[in-house]
Amino acid sequence: EDAERIAGADQEVVDRRRRLLNEWYAWRESVDEELDEEREAMGLPENPVEDLIKAKTAAVSQGEEEKVIE
Amino acid sequence: MRPILLAGHERALTQIRFNRDGDLIFSTSKDQQICAWFSHNGERLGTYHGHQGAIWTVDVDPTDTMIASGSADNTIRLWDIKSGKCLHTWEFPTAVKRVEFNEDGTKLLGVTEKRMGHLGTIVVLDINLDPEAEQSDEKAMTIVCDESKATVAGWSYLTKYIIAGHEDGSVSQYDAKTGDLIYNIQIHDLGSPITDIQWSQDRTYFITASKDKSAKLITARDLEVLKTYVADTPLNSAAITPKKEFVILGGGQAAMDVTTTSARQGRFEARFYHKIFEEEIGRVRGHFGPLNTVAADPTGRGYASGGEDGYVRVHFFDKGYFDFMYEVERERANRMA
Repeated sequence: EDAERIAGADQEVVDRRRRLLNEWYAWRESVDEELDEEREAMGLPENPVEDLIKAKTAAVSQGEEEKVIE
Repeated sequence: MRPILLAGHERALTQIRFNRDGDLIFSTSKDQQICAWFSHNGERLGTYHGHQGAIWTVDVDPTDTMIASGSADNTIRLWDIKSGKCLHTWEFPTAVKRVEFNEDGTKLLGVTEKRMGHLGTIVVLDINLDPEAEQSDEKAMTIVCDESKATVAGWSYLTKYIIAGHEDGSVSQYDAKTGDLIYNIQIHDLGSPITDIQWSQDRTYFITASKDKSAKLITARDLEVLKTYVADTPLNSAAITPKKEFVILGGGQAAMDVTTTSARQGRFEARFYHKIFEEEIGRVRGHFGPLNTVAADPTGRGYASGGEDGYVRVHFFDKGYFDFMYEVERERANRMA
């Protein structure tokens, strides 16, 4: 009920929210683009953390293998 | 939204951080303990012993290998999450109020306190994420805050900027490579300290909390204020929720500053605002004192708050939370589908 009360509103408010929403997503789109470009220009991987985690997992499993051999 | 209560600290909470997967929570307190908890059931994974003073801050590296902590004992310590071993200690002339890893975990910043004879600084340390490796004792960089001391700081996207919040209510942007000050802007009321800075997931924007009873959403690139959230109480912490377009604010007047009556018990609230519309949408009650720290689960499942009362409360969002949408949001979602 509360949600409905808050979510429902007069036209002026609805128009304002629609404008804010559009502005926000337009801004997000431009930021995402810029970020991709900058990352590429800097020669950074798209997801540096995933690479780190992969490297860590690889190192851990390598360690385990070594133990098995002993 | 039935919370899990984490009772393990004996004094006020100072900071809470989730790890990247949201399955672990790290908390620090004035009781000189760092605790690690499983977020799904509130079981304590362990504690990290060594600090000799109140612990102000903690952060976890993105690979879940190490945590860093900063304390009133004038040290930053680096810990192996699994073994609980202290891997390295850096000493400073004053207390350390905030630490944060950059996005790939190779750098750590620390905010040091101002005290007679010592200006506040932001120090940068190079971190080797291999727990077996030797850590460098040398500071990679020191930024001196000669105008107003920094109270909080963090790393932007691509480790491009260091963003700091100051005691005078201003926000600074520094070049993360050279330490040069690029901008300093009076974002909050003059003289109202900034108490928290937390990032969006991609670190292109952040939220500040201030004693001036407001929180603001600001771009990292040019410190443009995008949104303002007005509360009715001084704020200690603010977080941005992933998945849903909300922000969570925590604060409250300390007990000694208000007339305490039994009716006020347990009435300190976390406040939810719509991130884009700046409207308050709900409150979650529970703490017996001001909320000192709030943190959003990076996977979007819930949030945690830490209070002056010594408790951590972990909340999981229910279906109503995920379903809640403004009419215009539903409109947009339908259009995109």
